[in-house]
Amino acid sequence: MSAKIGELTFLQELAPRFKIPAPDFVVEPVPQSVVKRKLADWGGGIVKPDILAGKRGKAGTVREVSDCHTAMSLLKTVAATIVSGSQPRTAYMVQTVPAELEIFTAITYNSAFLGPSLTVCIHGGMDIESVPESDKVTVPLNVFRGLNAYQASEALKKAGLEEGRLNSNLALSLVKLWDMFSATGMQSCEINPWRVTRSGDVYACDFKATFDENNVKFRGLGFSLPEYPTQTSAFEEDMAAWSAASHQGQAHVAELGGKLILPMLFGGGASTIVIETLAQAGGDPMFLSDFGGNPPYERMKKTAEICFRHKLAEASLLLILGGKANNTQIDITFAAIADALQEWSDTHGARRIPVVVGRGGPGLVQGFARLKKTLENLDMPYVFFGPDTPITLVAAYAARLVKHTHKS
Amino acid sequence: MIARSLNGLLRKDDRVAVSNITGREASKVSVVSQRYCGNIVAGWALGKAGHVVEVPGGKNIPVYGQFEEMMAALPENRRPNKVIVYSPPDAVYGDIKEIIENSQGCVKTVFVITEHVSIEVTAKLRRLADTEGVDILGCNTLGVINVHDQVRIGAVGGDAPAETFRKGSACVISNSGNMVNTIASYLQSAGLGISHGVSTGKDVLVLSPLKELLPLAMRDRCTKLIVLYVEPGGVYEQEAIDAIQKLDYCKPVLVYVAGEFAEGMDVSLGHAGAVVGGAGTSASGKKKLFDEYFGLPPFDPENAKKYPELLAGHRRGIRVNALHDLVPAAAALMAASGIKRDFIPLRPLALRPWFVGLGGLAKDLPRDLVPYAANIPEPYARLVKQQVTSGVGRVPSRQSMRNTSHASSNDGATPRIYGHSLLTLMRGGSFAEAVLLYWLGQPVKHPFEARLFEMSLIASLTNGPGTISAQGAKMSASAGNDPNTAMMTTLGCMGSVHGGNGKKAAEMLIKVFAGTDLKDPYDRDGAPDLAPLVKKFVKTFKQRKAMAKEAGLEYQKVPCVGHPVFNTAAVNYDPRERVISQFLEDEGVYNVFLDFYHQLARGLMAQGATSKTHAVNVDAALTCVLMGIVWPLLVDKKITLERAVDLPMIAFALGRVAGGAGEYLDHRDSGTAMDMRVPVSECRFLGRDLD
Repeated sequence: MSAKIGELTFLQELAPRFKIPAPDFVVEPVPQSVVKRKLADWGGGIVKPDILAGKRGKAGTVREVSDCHTAMSLLKTVAATIVSGSQPRTAYMVQTVPAELEIFTAITYNSAFLGPSLTVCIHGGMDIESVPESDKVTVPLNVFRGLNAYQASEALKKAGLEEGRLNSNLALSLVKLWDMFSATGMQSCEINPWRVTRSGDVYACDFKATFDENNVKFRGLGFSLPEYPTQTSAFEEDMAAWSAASHQGQAHVAELGGKLILPMLFGGGASTIVIETLAQAGGDPMFLSDFGGNPPYERMKKTAEICFRHKLAEASLLLILGGKANNTQIDITFAAIADALQEWSDTHGARRIPVVVGRGGPGLVQGFARLKKTLENLDMPYVFFGPDTPITLVAAYAARLVKHTHKS
Repeated sequence: MIARSLNGLLRKDDRVAVSNITGREASKVSVVSQRYCGNIVAGWALGKAGHVVEVPGGKNIPVYGQFEEMMAALPENRRPNKVIVYSPPDAVYGDIKEIIENSQGCVKTVFVITEHVSIEVTAKLRRLADTEGVDILGCNTLGVINVHDQVRIGAVGGDAPAETFRKGSACVISNSGNMVNTIASYLQSAGLGISHGVSTGKDVLVLSPLKELLPLAMRDRCTKLIVLYVEPGGVYEQEAIDAIQKLDYCKPVLVYVAGEFAEGMDVSLGHAGAVVGGAGTSASGKKKLFDEYFGLPPFDPENAKKYPELLAGHRRGIRVNALHDLVPAAAALMAASGIKRDFIPLRPLALRPWFVGLGGLAKDLPRDLVPYAANIPEPYARLVKQQVTSGVGRVPSRQSMRNTSHASSNDGATPRIYGHSLLTLMRGGSFAEAVLLYWLGQPVKHPFEARLFEMSLIASLTNGPGTISAQGAKMSASAGNDPNTAMMTTLGCMGSVHGGNGKKAAEMLIKVFAGTDLKDPYDRDGAPDLAPLVKKFVKTFKQRKAMAKEAGLEYQKVPCVGHPVFNTAAVNYDPRERVISQFLEDEGVYNVFLDFYHQLARGLMAQGATSKTHAVNVDAALTCVLMGIVWPLLVDKKITLERAVDLPMIAFALGRVAGGAGEYLDHRDSGTAMDMRVPVSECRFLGRDLD
């Protein structure tokens, strides 16, 4: 689980708290007199949308300005411009920092070191993926001790920034960056670039970070994360809220944009391979789901209710599929799904779409018996598979079935 | 890792301790593990010292309050060398630190089952493991199974590990716990058993990375082939390939990489770590990596025959595009590498539907989309026969009911019974209807049923003050008790002989009619032919009676036939039963159970099992009334058999406890203190004075 922030939150909340040098800024809505004064002080500014997107995503909406009228106009238009399919939260203008040098830095948890690491590159300012690996320096960090100025300086030196005032300034800023990373429970943070002025001062000029929501420090962050207008559907939002309501059992969905199969899947691994199989076989799944983790009856029933409320009316096939469960009680989960299906049908009228079921695990036969009875009551065609049929074969069958029934 | 082979992670004679063992999942999994291999020596959970996790059919697990306390209490040769952690996420780091500090070097491997552990804590655990010389697997691992030693830790194999994991030569290492089981069951179709199954977990940081596990598998003497289930995220696979390329020799590897469908979409897969974060960490990147290592494109099932030859040149392995392709790919790899199968392959992978109910849709489908229901394997077939395709009664679903109820609810405004407003019932229903709703979970179908039930309750009120239950109420009044105590005494004076015979009658009726096609007990035309049923029943009863008499034993009488009062005529009737029968007749309602009872009473006499026609007593009538109501629900599997057989006694008790209250009120108003006491002069001693 992760929560993301962009540059504006960094400028407003984190840079001052951790004394990380950053450019001055103003946020729309802002009085014209303030913009005028700031531009006069700064010499120029850059208008940006407050949105969670990379440099490529924001391209076209990041504009340099020098006069007040253009700045005011851009602040309004950028705030209202859809960027990479998303609506910005607002727009803001940062001080232009004339730079001699741009440097990329990132602190992140690294699967190679199984701990945090610092990455430095003196060719900052562009998308870091396009920089050759040989130009980047990554050093592991001790999660207990963190990053000290000497380590930071050494990393910068390895990356090509010789010892001196600049190296020293930046090293100290990187230590502050680590303090922020560690104190707020971040999973990764990236400053790209640090802009270095002719006098050797450094400014953190673009920022993005991801928090680890499981980290207790994130839960005590001290400020509320901004809510970005998202592209998540009402279905995803409802399920995410329900998922957050309890840790008992999974309630994870992600829209895939498909139109045919409503897949209620169990187990992280199973859901992945089933969706992969459905996608390959033309099953056009509506979403990815994982409802495993032994949900109690009420949890599963509400999860199923949300799925049916948002998707059943449009679906052409209901797929209830999982591997052989380790702990999940099939009798409980299937009773909950059956009851939710019955209730939905009582309200909306039964949809006689085919139902394909595949499962194994504790209480399997009781669960099958309960669901089968409900499907018969609702006059819904069905095929049930036990654990002796591989789930990927069941998924491939469901895909072929829905393609045929949908066509006909 | 300090383990030198997979055996080092888990082997026979390892001693396992379980943290937070009294938790929902931990206790359940521990019981299954203990039955499977008995390797758990103890567990601990804060505030639960002195508890025991009971293991039916296995050794119970003692519970201590803390790890340190557990170590002090266990003898040296029983102290754990493996620990499985089920602690809450925020407690995981503290608990593992405590384990390491207090284990005196005893604990060598820690398995962290807990989900939602923060990445920072996970990184700290790795650091701790490196400095303290301990292996930590997880977080969010499902555990490990060593099939040759028949031991497991965690929930690998679910509740029947022996069913999925047969001894063999393939090692499964998987980012998904469930896929360990799934792949093991798939491979049985290739005649390939399992040496070890390892669930690595798939958090952002995997504490037992593939580069450390693969060499262990390469060194393991039981493992001849390695199967990997891989998800996007992390550079684990690149590192692993680098690591095994440095080894002297490599065992063949089969790989399935999942998650490519999510590329280019802002979709997070189920596991926290299945997130792309850089070049080569995507599913497509990992597929490319393996294909380059193998020097072959992915397995093509259409051309399976060419692979033994193709693979013989490489022997490094191959990647499959579909998980079920693991079976033909494994067969080809085994042939190419000279690996013998572990057992005769089980049935090939195929669609084997258990229930097909496509109805009218089937007509419009091509033949290959209308599969025939296959033979269901044991032990499921027996259960299916019992619970789905035949028999009556719903199979109960079990869950913790501590703070839950299907029967009642209260949303702060309206109390409800099975979702029906109590207030509406008060306004428009009868007590009998409300009680039946509470007992059956749904309203009665026919209006006459509530009336019949009410008549039964009235009949149960009393059979005079001499009945044992009425005597109980009077005793209680005589002793000076309050009314609730007197009512409890009335209930306490009921048992299997007085008031409980209806339960036996219900069991008998269900046994007799479960083998018939009876659907509607009120439909005379659709009722089964009762004469042969009666004849068969009486014949069996007579045989049983004769055998018991010959052996000088008490025999099981026909329940609810005969009455101590109404038994003086050649053909006897219980007047209360007659009222119910008369009502049925007046209403034009047939009750197959009551008809059976009357025919049975006559049949017993006619076939010489009794000397006269005994009365069908009121308990029988009450049972027949209730069975008439519940039978359609049993056929539709809407209620359990247990509930159905309990109802007659509950109904009798409800009527009789009201009657007991009447006796109490009368006795309290008019009786004298302790007037029920039997004078000493009337009591007889049947023994001999000894001093």
